[in-house]
Amino acid sequence: MTIVAPPAAAPSSTPPEEARVRALGRQIAAGQAKAGRTRTRALEDRGMEWLARDPALRAALFRLVDVAPACENRRDLAAHLAALLGEAERPGTPIGFARRVSTRRAGGPAVGALADLVVHRMATRFIVGADPGDAVPKLEQLWREGAAASVDLLGEATVTAAEADRYARRCDEALRTLADAARTWPARPTLDVVPRVNLSVKVTALTAKVKPDAPELGIADARHRLRTLLRTAKRVGAHLHVDMESMDSRELITQLVIDLLGEPEFRDGPSAGIVLQAYLKDADEQLDQLLDGIAQPFTVRLVKGAYWEHETVEARQHGWAAPVYETKVESDRAFECLTRRLLQARPHVRVAIASHNVRSIAHALACAPDRDLELQVLRGLGDDLQQALTGMGLRVRTYCPVGDLVAGMSYLVRRLLENTSNDSFLVNRTRGADLDALLTKP
Amino acid sequence: MSFTNEPLLELRRAPVRAGLTDALIALALPWSVPVIVAGERRDAPTFTSTDPGAPTRVVAEVTAATEADVDAAVHAAARAAPAWEAKGAHARAAILSRAAGELRRRRPQLAALAVRECAKPWPEADADVCEAIDFLEYYAQRAIALESTDGLVQLPGERNTLRYAARGVVAVVGPWNFPLAIPAGMVAAGLATGNGVVLKPAEQSPACALALVEAFHAAGVPPAALNLLPGEGDVGAALVAHPGVHTIAFTGSGAVGLSILKTAAELQPGQRHLKRVVAEMGGKNCVIVDADADLDDAVPALVYSAFGFAGQKCSAAARALVHHRVKDTLLERLHGAVDQLLIDQAERFGVDVPPVIEPAARDRIHAFVQTARDQGARVHQPGTVPPHGHFVAPAVIDGLPVGSRVTEEEIFGPVLAVESVRSVDEACAIVGAQPFALTGGLFSRDPATVERVSRLLPVGNLYVNRHITGAMVARQPFGGNRLSGTGTKAGGPDYLLQFVEPRVVTEDTMRHGLVV
Ligand SMILES: Cc1cc2nc3c(=O)[nH]c(=O)nc-3n(C[C@H](O)[C@H](O)[C@H](O)COP(=O)(O)OP(=O)(O)OC[C@H]3O[C@@H](n4cnc5c(N)ncnc54)[C@H](O)[C@@H]3O)c2cc1C
Repeated sequence: MTIVAPPAAAPSSTPPEEARVRALGRQIAAGQAKAGRTRTRALEDRGMEWLARDPALRAALFRLVDVAPACENRRDLAAHLAALLGEAERPGTPIGFARRVSTRRAGGPAVGALADLVVHRMATRFIVGADPGDAVPKLEQLWREGAAASVDLLGEATVTAAEADRYARRCDEALRTLADAARTWPARPTLDVVPRVNLSVKVTALTAKVKPDAPELGIADARHRLRTLLRTAKRVGAHLHVDMESMDSRELITQLVIDLLGEPEFRDGPSAGIVLQAYLKDADEQLDQLLDGIAQPFTVRLVKGAYWEHETVEARQHGWAAPVYETKVESDRAFECLTRRLLQARPHVRVAIASHNVRSIAHALACAPDRDLELQVLRGLGDDLQQALTGMGLRVRTYCPVGDLVAGMSYLVRRLLENTSNDSFLVNRTRGADLDALLTKP
Repeated sequence: MSFTNEPLLELRRAPVRAGLTDALIALALPWSVPVIVAGERRDAPTFTSTDPGAPTRVVAEVTAATEADVDAAVHAAARAAPAWEAKGAHARAAILSRAAGELRRRRPQLAALAVRECAKPWPEADADVCEAIDFLEYYAQRAIALESTDGLVQLPGERNTLRYAARGVVAVVGPWNFPLAIPAGMVAAGLATGNGVVLKPAEQSPACALALVEAFHAAGVPPAALNLLPGEGDVGAALVAHPGVHTIAFTGSGAVGLSILKTAAELQPGQRHLKRVVAEMGGKNCVIVDADADLDDAVPALVYSAFGFAGQKCSAAARALVHHRVKDTLLERLHGAVDQLLIDQAERFGVDVPPVIEPAARDRIHAFVQTARDQGARVHQPGTVPPHGHFVAPAVIDGLPVGSRVTEEEIFGPVLAVESVRSVDEACAIVGAQPFALTGGLFSRDPATVERVSRLLPVGNLYVNRHITGAMVARQPFGGNRLSGTGTKAGGPDYLLQFVEPRVVTEDTMRHGLVV
């Protein structure tokens, strides 16, 4: 497959001056430092950084978080912990000690309780509430701090029509609940240029018929559910954002969104958007398809992509060329090219830059002196970034997962895995890597 | 030497799918499948193979072999074998590798043929072609490795040599459910090791067999070293009983497998050797779901393992043994997932359950489901089937009485029995009491459970936290124990040993008191 270089010629797509990017980067970093962290948060960050150094322990703990909701009681949880640590054990490490304690008769329940506590603590860091109603106070607090939110409803995988319906119903209720609540919030001119309420939905939760070799089946099955959500969003004045997932569902999601937004009733709303993943080697064609396929203004959230490991491993197992770049710097570079392309496509496209990488954000800001763009971060990971960016008077949206603990676990595991990877910007920040080095052009 | 599996088609890309659809349109049917003995074709059609999804569509007009053909084929193979063996492993491997290239060149056409003749859905049809290619390449490599094996202890004054000689004539009796891969594997194993081969394909998939034989011949396998005998059970029986056959490689039902083993044990007039049988037979494969399983994974994996290709894989899941704590949840989700399955023609992308191979199979499966109803079990079989073709809607059954035929016998269709167990150990005891031991599955997130169950289960292939079908050559050597087979592993490093006989030469190297 050939890698198509993005069109370079047009003036606003030329890279910004590096000095300007660095200055903005330092400003953001200073804001982050000022935001500070609570002691526990700093400890957790150290913990994550530490985990990044010990792959065996990292694997054991993530698998524990993963299985925790399925454990019958604390003793059961302790038994799992012991077995998982047993796999990771090497003589003379803290793992050995922890394992011995957790297998002791008296130690079991106590260690189980501790593990339970840690898992819960970590989960509440990332999840704003068990359901939308429950989340409203935290969302309002966010708003008052100057950041809008995009709510993501966590849940188990959809394997039945009943589960697809249930997820659609939860989304529908969330739109109404949040719209009701947000009406009373104070005015925020920076944020109020787009709808206050913003819901992120996963198409693979809207249908049990996700088949990589037959996207038309999933499109036909998810269509009526997503259409209902678009109608509700339009009625309550909310924004509906469709998340992007793995390559196996990309064609389904892309075509479904293009189809629905082409229906006459949606030509004049609601506000809607889709995600572009910069790590895909054919992201440029993907963007072409969106620009050609959607007539009205729409939002594109630019991300690097959350399924890098999945795509790489799947391709490897099947003997395919990986659809994603194989070095991080290529993803970073593509992200910047696409940033420029998107900014240039305004106002047809409303641009949202979603990243925790200060370099990526500073680059986008340097490209958009008019500041007509949105910056998006994840709750629990980008909190200090959110404060820094709102402090600069920018339009910020924080992606806030909502759901019960069971549903939250797989989300939590994914976030943790991603942020204890040695390539991660956040891990390198926590390790105290030189800021200027982190701000250099990819 | 390194081996990599033939890459599957990336069917999630639309142009790749379009290429297959074109190949199906271009496929000119019916084919004519002759008896081929020493390159001579005898074409006088006596039966047909048809499309299971459109029974009036004839895929192949086929000439059934006679007893005289069987005799001629075995003699031809026996005569051709010495020269073929004498070429040496490297030369034979090169030819097999070239045959793999022939298959590779015709991948879309071969997949289309499997779609038509056996109603294999595209992803499975493509995987079947890839596996056939894998077998050829892998056994070619292993034969070279075998030729250069020499692990004997050497002392001064003597030279010990271990050599693996071809056994002679291999009779291959193949199944229709992997109409390309399995016959290709058994034929390639025989040829790679220097044997002459006679192939008797399943009567349901003769065209696929012809495509294989043509690829081998085009690549340079001497015509007489590979002979094709289409036909029904009587042809296979005559072939197996022939005194000139040394090795029988069989994949199919338990009943036929046992009768082959019996026949092979009887010395025929003029037979001066013991026949060896490599048999892959049925299974009644269980998937154990523990209380800590991730049902988000377990449900789709169970559905795919039980109903993919309408359950017509010897590795398919037949029983789910579910921890009582999660059984109701699992069953509810399983029912809902089965409601979503697409029952349709194999050529439709995204189809989950294609038609079964023939009317007799459909009737047999229906009878099992009826038995379940008669025994008072709960049968969830929501699907409606297309009007033409031998379709059976997938069924999930629970509440069967202990010892029911439905949980004990191989059904070879889209039927899954769900049973509640008090613990993983109880599930292991159930599996351990079965006469079959082919594949098994386990869903658990406790490494201690995984370790314990791996040790307890007698199955040939255990899959943990994934579907239980789709073994890959060289990665998951495949084959069952107990009444599921002779314990050999197709696609594994030691499979070829079944096709050779070891010979040891010891030479005294002392002359006049000196080591020379
Ligand atoms: C608000 C928000 C919404 C999001 N929504 C989505 C979504 O809908 N869909 C989605 O897929 N993701 C989504 N993401 C996740 C996003 O794709 C990234 O995974 C995450 O933000 C980390 O990227 P970064 O720029 O913040 O950090 P960085 O540390 O700069 O980048 C990490 C990213 O680089 C890429 N990468 C890592 N290693 C390599 C390598 N060896 N070769 C090539 N590339 C590599 C990966 O994409 C990895 O996630 C979202 C993120 C945010 C903040």
